[in-house]
Amino acid sequence: MTVIDKTADAQTESISFELDLRHSPAKVWRALTDPELLTKWLLPVTNFKLVPGADFTFNTQPHPGWDGTVNCRILESDEPKRLRYAWVVMELDTVVTFTLTPTDSGTRLSLVQSGFKPNQKQNFGGARYGWKLMGGKLVDVLAETA
Amino acid sequence: MQGAAAAENKIFQALADPSRRAIFESLTRGEAAVKDLTSRFEISQPAVSQHLAALKDAGLVNARREGRYIFYRVDPRGMKPLVDWIAHYRAFWTESVDRLEQLLEDMDE
Repeated sequence: MTVIDKTADAQTESISFELDLRHSPAKVWRALTDPELLTKWLLPVTNFKLVPGADFTFNTQPHPGWDGTVNCRILESDEPKRLRYAWVVMELDTVVTFTLTPTDSGTRLSLVQSGFKPNQKQNFGGARYGWKLMGGKLVDVLAETA
Repeated sequence: MQGAAAAENKIFQALADPSRRAIFESLTRGEAAVKDLTSRFEISQPAVSQHLAALKDAGLVNARREGRYIFYRVDPRGMKPLVDWIAHYRAFWTESVDRLEQLLEDMDE
């Protein structure tokens, strides 16, 4: 099985992967949504419920400046095709999307983590819009860094 | 995976303010003194100075003095923690999907 990192070099706002798995979508869906299985391959999970709007957390080791908690919220659950949840670590507000497509040999799984933008509750729309506008210039600045 | 979390937090906090973000964007087009920025935006000089101090504290801009004026410009290294953060996640997901593939092999149908 090959993991292809599909993130374009200039695309700094999201990370995406695509995998061809020789397992049925139903089985892959189970690995993505069973708390015990999630703990095995991703991170220890608390209060995971497949209900849109439901909050849950992933918990990893604390680091200086971060208690190790990833705050999540189910945004979409369409078994066994699509699972989307918010993935928030402090000020960083991202969305993780899993898309399952049946293939002749099993399942094509796409994983995208998008966002990487400020989480500003008071001016949520404005902040998102502003960050988007800045995207292009940000890339320029990042290019200079390299 | 989040070793530089505090630095990243500072960057995001600094850029979450719309005026400060506008000033930062403006500086990406070239260096400027406080008076240039005051005339470019409808913000008072003390406010501009305060925004610049926050950007500087987050490592996003640096300053150089020339005669009576201080010129501010974008410090490209300032964005590095954010780049690191994305790199962390890329590595994190690569390892995780490896484990997912192994787990699927071990699971019953």
